[in-house]
Amino acid sequence: MRVTVERIEPKDEEELIVRCYDPGAAWVSSVKEAASGHRTICGWREDMLRRLKLSEVFYFEVVDDRSFVYTQAEVFEAKEKLYEFERLCMGSPLFRCSKSMILNAEKIDYVRPSLSGRFEAVLSNGEKVVVSRKYVADLKRMLGV
Amino acid sequence: MTVYGIIMLCTFFMCLLFNPASELPVVTFFGRIMVFTLIALLSLAVYYSKEELTVKTWWMRTVLHLLLLEAVLLPLAHSWGFWHSGTDILIYAGFILLAKVLWHLVDYGLNAKIAAQINERIRKNRLEKRTGKD
Repeated sequence: MRVTVERIEPKDEEELIVRCYDPGAAWVSSVKEAASGHRTICGWREDMLRRLKLSEVFYFEVVDDRSFVYTQAEVFEAKEKLYEFERLCMGSPLFRCSKSMILNAEKIDYVRPSLSGRFEAVLSNGEKVVVSRKYVADLKRMLGV
Repeated sequence: MTVYGIIMLCTFFMCLLFNPASELPVVTFFGRIMVFTLIALLSLAVYYSKEELTVKTWWMRTVLHLLLLEAVLLPLAHSWGFWHSGTDILIYAGFILLAKVLWHLVDYGLNAKIAAQINERIRKNRLEKRTGKD
């Protein structure tokens, strides 16, 4: 595989373009994960500010106009709105999974259907979150199904 | 399409059960089923919500949806002569319930298929990553 690295001016935005046969291939996910690992967001917990890498985020959720960031075992409050999170996550394994949540596809252990017409995603830390039918197409596209 | 198919099946069995000798012109038959389908689809608006529905609210709206379907479809079916007596109405109401249950089951089956595809892909990716790292 040919790898091209181009030096750009500091005023230009850094960008990674992956040209591949299968967007869901494991190596593409690894590249996305590595690229998003450099992106960070700030989260507050017990008056302490912590910089969180996108790769360690399990999901973002907005509850009663307050935003929360969930990692493996901790919950942080964030200032960003859902659309701001969404913009930040573009090109990363994070995708909108419901009206109030953005989920990291890399953290999904498995999904199962529910009678309500939605899907339940079981994460690698054992947590269960809802994936709306409306957004399941994004997950499929992201995984290359 | 699923809703249309289920309603068509139910109507066919209703005619077979209550009036096997009946003959419906094709246009009337398909036209009426289209009206039923349209009503069934419009009534899905009861599931609309700005917030994500919880399991409890989903069940509440599902019951409400069933009641709405029964309230609209039963009088309409009566005016078209699909049922006449007291026993007929119970059976017809049962058919509407059956159609709704069937629709949810078909939906669940389709979602189970999608979930299986996603899980297979997750499993493959995980395996590729593991073998790539080893």
